[in-house]
Amino acid sequence: MMASRRNVPEHRDPGLQPERTSLAWGRTTLAMVVAAAIFLRWMPHHGLFTGVLIALTLLAALVINGTQRVRYHRAVHGIANETIHADVVAVLFTSLSVVVLGALGIYTVVFLPVPG
Amino acid sequence: MPTSVPPSDPGPDSGRSKFTAKLLRGGTEPDPRFTLANERTFLAWIRTSLALLAGGIAVEAFTSDLLGPGIRKTTAILLLVLAMVIGAGAFFRWLNVERAMRQKAPLPLPVIAPILAIGGALVGAIFVVFVILRPV
Repeated sequence: MMASRRNVPEHRDPGLQPERTSLAWGRTTLAMVVAAAIFLRWMPHHGLFTGVLIALTLLAALVINGTQRVRYHRAVHGIANETIHADVVAVLFTSLSVVVLGALGIYTVVFLPVPG
Repeated sequence: MPTSVPPSDPGPDSGRSKFTAKLLRGGTEPDPRFTLANERTFLAWIRTSLALLAGGIAVEAFTSDLLGPGIRKTTAILLLVLAMVIGAGAFFRWLNVERAMRQKAPLPLPVIAPILAIGGALVGAIFVVFVILRPV
């Protein structure tokens, strides 16, 4: 069982659950990149603090993208073994990222002065 | 030399971190397909939240020629607050569904759905009123 972990994992789920879940994470990172791109438009108004927002947004996307392989393998083995442990850490990280970005965005709109 | 590994303890918390075991206490592991489906639903809510975030950023960034600072900041903050509420609510929705599935209980209703509907309608209404009252 452990030896198969090193190979390309296989599963027999015609519902393609691991692949769909992996793509859902991928789409989420793309949405983060879009948000980071629109943040660029704040640069002229709100200054360099916008750079922090963009860096944090891209960092969250990178962390998710960097762990895609681990999650896909876990999902495939979960389907094969008929049991999977819910990924609390990944879900909590993603939720907190959005909340922190929203809070920093509100801070920027309310407190950082618009020049001119 | 025998290399067979003894079967791992099939207890409910085998292989789970303490944090996971604490948040998702008791019950039995649901069908892995349902756990993955719950995860995808969570991600759909997160993308909704990210779209609201992008909308809030866009209102603040692109409407300075059109909207006065008051209405611009109000709608931007409203959208960003909505993004935060949906983003945080998505986690609790995911957790409650996972807990219900472990207990084989009926799934809870999504509280964030009416919040999204009312919030979205509110922002829409503000823009409709703005367009109607705008001097031509």
